[in-house]
Amino acid sequence: MRIACWLLIALLPAVAQELKLPPGLDKLADKATETVDVTMDQSLLQLASKFLSDKDPDEARAKKLVAGLKGVYVRSFQFEHPGEYDQSDLTMLRAQLKPPVWQRIVGVRSKKDGENAEVFLASDGNSVTGLAVICADPKELTIVHIIGQIKPEDLRDLGGNFGIPKFEIGGSHKSDSKEE
Amino acid sequence: MDDLERQLDLECHLKDALTRKQAPDWFEAKVLAAAARETSAPAGFWQRLMAGARLRWASAVLASAAVLASGLAWQHERAVRERTEGEAAKAQLQLALKVTRVKLRKIGQKLDQMERN
Repeated sequence: MRIACWLLIALLPAVAQELKLPPGLDKLADKATETVDVTMDQSLLQLASKFLSDKDPDEARAKKLVAGLKGVYVRSFQFEHPGEYDQSDLTMLRAQLKPPVWQRIVGVRSKKDGENAEVFLASDGNSVTGLAVICADPKELTIVHIIGQIKPEDLRDLGGNFGIPKFEIGGSHKSDSKEE
Repeated sequence: MDDLERQLDLECHLKDALTRKQAPDWFEAKVLAAAARETSAPAGFWQRLMAGARLRWASAVLASAAVLASGLAWQHERAVRERTEGEAAKAQLQLALKVTRVKLRKIGQKLDQMERN
């Protein structure tokens, strides 16, 4: 019984870093003018990796990044009119992105443009084990969820360093900005 | 004179040799018997065995060739399918990374802009 409890505690972060995408997201595709829907588990990532060239610098970088990944999920919707998605879907998603597994490292909110962007990182204490990005603009909603080992250099390759000098897992150097 | 005698002698020999002669009575019977024996006689054991073995070998070679050909066709089809799936997976991955890059860069630029302001 005690072993089972320890096993459960040990497995909890691994399970917790896997997000459940709100079921309402799939219905948004009907309203959206443009949709990106990517669902890739580890086996599909490995298959894709086989077809990435080592000679092409971009593909070689992607191959290196994919080596440690277990899943890549992207949902992106562009709408003709503002307010076509439900905020409750995002609330459900944000509720899963909580410490101790997830840390919000960037939060950008612009009241002027109505843009709202957040970046979350999951960590096991030593390394980054997940990345989640939520970009909620009035006419666009994008959710990116990457599971697996992500090295800092891979993160830089993915999108720069967000203009912040250094990532520090644990929250002491978090950047959380608001634009009024 | 000697030459003339020899020539006559040769002609006599030739004439004698080329004269049509009736075959002996036993000859026809012997030929017919031999022919009948050859058509009706069953093939020998080794002959039959070799004929059977050849047939079996031919069948085995044909079957092996068919198995090999279908195996190669299956492997080719599998390779083509895997390639198609792999290329599709690669395209999906590249799209996902592109979306991620674009969004993260946009957030980075926003942060830079806010820092400048």
